[in-house]
Amino acid sequence: MNDLLYNNSNIYLFVAVFMLFCGIAGLVYRRTLIGMLVSMELIMNGAGLNLVAINRFISPENPYGVAFTLIIMGIAAAESAIALSIIIIIAKRYQHIEGGDMKELKY
Amino acid sequence: MSIGESIFLFAVAVTMGGALTAVFASSIVYAMLGLIAAMFGVAGLYIYLNSTFLAMMQILIYVGAISILIAFAIMLLGPYSKKYRDFRAFGKLMAAFATAIVSVLMFGRFILENLQGDARAGFAMTTKDLGRVFTDKLILPFELISLLLVVAIIGAVMLSLNSRGDK
Repeated sequence: MNDLLYNNSNIYLFVAVFMLFCGIAGLVYRRTLIGMLVSMELIMNGAGLNLVAINRFISPENPYGVAFTLIIMGIAAAESAIALSIIIIIAKRYQHIEGGDMKELKY
Repeated sequence: MSIGESIFLFAVAVTMGGALTAVFASSIVYAMLGLIAAMFGVAGLYIYLNSTFLAMMQILIYVGAISILIAFAIMLLGPYSKKYRDFRAFGKLMAAFATAIVSVLMFGRFILENLQGDARAGFAMTTKDLGRVFTDKLILPFELISLLLVVAIIGAVMLSLNSRGDK
């Protein structure tokens, strides 16, 4: 049973790392705030997949990885709601949503 | 290759292709569709990890709530980006690619050397276990999540109310 492909933890961890670095590349590459938010969701999904894979393969007697992935989902929902309302206000005020041009609070 | 393995490889391919589409698509609507595809792929991987409740919650929360929220934001904002796409970002893209590839190679070697997974049979995360752990050991994070959601709802309402005046 152990030689089946989906009973190997490396593939799950590789997919999680791939999603993490796709998210980081998107945070650097995207210019608009909504694109950055989509990349943030990718990073959180990679973290959740990593937690569940570790929970299933390393310590299958505790359900903490699955529980914390559910908590991550709640945090992601709250974060995206707040971020999208802020983005809409920024779009009303500045008439664009490009992250590089907002530097009033920078100095 | 059995049929389960081929479905598993399909889920992995959907996840990785969705992630690439979400990052490198030129239109933001295609990026959102790539994000939805990646969510569905991750839900399939959760099913292969014996966590079916988590897969259902993934589809319900991410695809049903967050992606619809992003779609409404895109529809409300419209074509608000000043310059659609320019080539100054090309250097950034190359840098991010190089970082990503080097890091994936590094972490892949680390994973291959350190974590030879042993799949112990009998791991099945039921809602009974999850309910027990949420009402027994993790009661404080559970309550804090509900508090966080209430604060987020009130904050979103207050932001939209306060921004109506200075339009």
